[in-house]
Amino acid sequence: MNADAHDGKVVTYRTVCPRNCYCTCGMIVTVEDGRITRITGDPRNPATGGKVCVKGIAYARRQHDPDRLLYPLRRTEKGLRAAPWDEVLDEITHRLGRIRSEWGPSSALYYEGSGSHGALSVLGEAFWRPFGGPTRAHGDLCWPAGLEATRLTYGDNRHSHPVLSREARFILLWGHNPAETNIHQWRLITEAREAGARLAVIDPRATDTTDAADIHLQPRPGSDAALALAMADVIIDSGLHDTAFLDHHAHGFEAFARRVRECPADRAADICGLDPSEIRSLALAYASTSPALLIAGFGLQRHRRAGQTMRAVSLLPALTGNIGIPGGGWQYANLASHQLRPPAGLPPEPEAPARSFPTSQLGRNLLELEDPPLRAAWFEKADPVSQHPRTMLVRKGLEQLDLLVVVDQFLTDTAGLADFVLPAKTMFEEEDLVTAYWHPYLQLRTKVFDPPGQVRTESRVWEELCRRFGFDTSLFEKDRRELLRSMLPAGRQDMLEELASGPVDPSGRGEVAWSGRSFPTPSGKVEFLSREAERLWGVDPLPDVGPLTEGPSSERARRYPLQLLTCKTRERIHSQFGNLDWVEEVERPRVLDIHPADAAARGLRDGDTAVVWNDRGQIRLRIRLSPGIRPGVVHVIEGRCVPDDPFVNLLTDDGVTDMNHGATFYECLVEVSRP
Amino acid sequence: MNGERPTASCGFVLDLDRCTGCGACVLACRLENGLAGDVSWRSILTLNMGRYAAGPTYHLSLACHHCVEPACLRACPAGAFEKRADGVVLLDTDRCLGCRYCEMACPFGALSWDARAGVMTKCTLCSHRLDEELPPACVEACPMEALIFEPALPHRTGVYSLPGEVPGFVDPAGCSPQIRFRDPSGDLREHRLAQVREVLSDG
Repeated sequence: MNADAHDGKVVTYRTVCPRNCYCTCGMIVTVEDGRITRITGDPRNPATGGKVCVKGIAYARRQHDPDRLLYPLRRTEKGLRAAPWDEVLDEITHRLGRIRSEWGPSSALYYEGSGSHGALSVLGEAFWRPFGGPTRAHGDLCWPAGLEATRLTYGDNRHSHPVLSREARFILLWGHNPAETNIHQWRLITEAREAGARLAVIDPRATDTTDAADIHLQPRPGSDAALALAMADVIIDSGLHDTAFLDHHAHGFEAFARRVRECPADRAADICGLDPSEIRSLALAYASTSPALLIAGFGLQRHRRAGQTMRAVSLLPALTGNIGIPGGGWQYANLASHQLRPPAGLPPEPEAPARSFPTSQLGRNLLELEDPPLRAAWFEKADPVSQHPRTMLVRKGLEQLDLLVVVDQFLTDTAGLADFVLPAKTMFEEEDLVTAYWHPYLQLRTKVFDPPGQVRTESRVWEELCRRFGFDTSLFEKDRRELLRSMLPAGRQDMLEELASGPVDPSGRGEVAWSGRSFPTPSGKVEFLSREAERLWGVDPLPDVGPLTEGPSSERARRYPLQLLTCKTRERIHSQFGNLDWVEEVERPRVLDIHPADAAARGLRDGDTAVVWNDRGQIRLRIRLSPGIRPGVVHVIEGRCVPDDPFVNLLTDDGVTDMNHGATFYECLVEVSRP
Repeated sequence: MNGERPTASCGFVLDLDRCTGCGACVLACRLENGLAGDVSWRSILTLNMGRYAAGPTYHLSLACHHCVEPACLRACPAGAFEKRADGVVLLDTDRCLGCRYCEMACPFGALSWDARAGVMTKCTLCSHRLDEELPPACVEACPMEALIFEPALPHRTGVYSLPGEVPGFVDPAGCSPQIRFRDPSGDLREHRLAQVREVLSDG
């Protein structure tokens, strides 16, 4: 349907939500007279089951929100002011070109965040590769340590189709809160529970998920490796490990079994702050019920020992023979849909490898990189001022640049610092392909509207810049559908038509992960012992236990005795959605959850405003007495959307995980005081 | 109501084990009914958000309960309210005088003042959709299928609890609100038993 032809007509479109979220819902959008009047789930996506979440419905407001940026802005003496595209692009070309010739191409940083998913994002490379290779950030703020630990253990990031969760008899959620962050998984878990499955949850907090749990363990944040190894010890000691599976499909099991003897439940109980009997009961319940599904969230891998922790936890399903069976398994990330190729005609990468730094250390690298120093930065789909750790360093680093360009739909904290803000399209304004990481489906994002006002797609901006720099623009002249088609897996170019009528699993692997029990690891087996981990990351080839650098047993805890968690919730994706008035109506308040004993020790009462601080920064928050949270742990929902929200990352550190360059947001000690 | 008892009484059923208080119903209502600004027909009430040990945490997704004896209808001097035969309570905004008596009378805070138009508004149970045999927008949107529309609500059967049996939910004006709660896991019953035990041990 021609997206211009909305006058007086009711038209429905099949599309997909491109946010960085587990669900990646298939959506049906109804448009009347140029406005979205209904959003429902696409019943053809079996994982999301014909429903969207609260954010999905909020798109009806977001798409037409009065605060959306509809024209380019440039910084003047009076602040950011609207300016014509040609003037803005000419000026960016002039300044970026001058920086490039004076300092070299790596004096520019190109940073693409995960604020919206779409395969056409890769078109930015058509500009940056001939530009000569800018500096980049590697790793990821969210989940990389768990990805790498899973890859080292099983050989790949696969898990069974989400709908098979219904067949589980025991579900163990580890550092995961799907009732708020993966609602369609929660629906499936609820159905399993209603059919008699037991639910165990490991979370230092009390959440909507733990409310439903039969077993709830609240260990100290960052102590999960000890808990997992102790559970393994109990399981092996009780003879509940699956010797038939282990004999054929495990590498290094004997060494692992010796390792877990060093971490019995009594020792783990001290490390985790749990009762040994709690650890034994959970281990026995998990290992004696089949099929058992272990779903790990991202939270337990947001500290420096993340990879080794995830190695320990990820081995429990293999230990108990829950791999390759329906209803059982290890669920972390499902990359079945990640089968896209670069588009035909993309220029080759520069021969010299790009300079890069771990993304969590953006702030210090903006300030400290030399030879050449960073003079320009381009951010899209990202709001580093609110989302990266060490907010003060990030802000300072951005402020000292000669040129800062930000592409966004709204005037974020980062956009507010920019020299130029380019108005970004929304998910409804360009056709694209969207992958997922929970269900196996590739989905087609449909064009519903032409970009409003002076908004241009990013690909058109890249084309204009290529033209101004004298780079090859032939890629942009190709038909967009043919470009998308060229990105589909080899021999599957007809999939584009199939995608128009619903989601497609491009992997062809079937619903049960590892049903063939063939693991693409060096040994071809599940690697309890991983020499690859040792070689790549310098860690013990077996999962091991050790204290956090910034943990409750560190010297630092004398000054800052509380562990701060900055978790996610249902109505926002980080700094997105919370700016909408519709969302304000249903949002969870930004309060600090603190145990009554911790509050009383500081003379704080429910509703008081407190200062949350450490040597990196301080924020003010209203406190909520929360008997459900573990004493010694405090929590606030992250993601700054409106000026009243706190910058929680003033407090967090820019550490790097032991594997795969992740961030360490949950390894953060603070003190809470009366103002 | 013209003295006649309605032949059927439709209403909402909320599964307290399933509702996570996500608010999808609230926004679906807003979108379907074109509600702007402060006008809102559905809201989420969370009880015991801090998770005190005394009782469970509940999310209640609440709108107009389309009562059997609507206090709003009795209070309205303009006769702007109607209780349909299927049980839906409708407000004719053309007849609304803007006196706001109904707002005072409703014990559930279900009415929503439209300051721009100077009239009261409320949930219609998406009667325009019911007439096309579609569920209300809030029900269609619920990702947990925790909120259900029942064309004929049972007075008391099996797992359905009456409103007064949910801690924190009372019917002070004797309106007989047409909402029922499910709690398959038995939290409510456990909670009530715990209360009784506490009273007995204090005595």
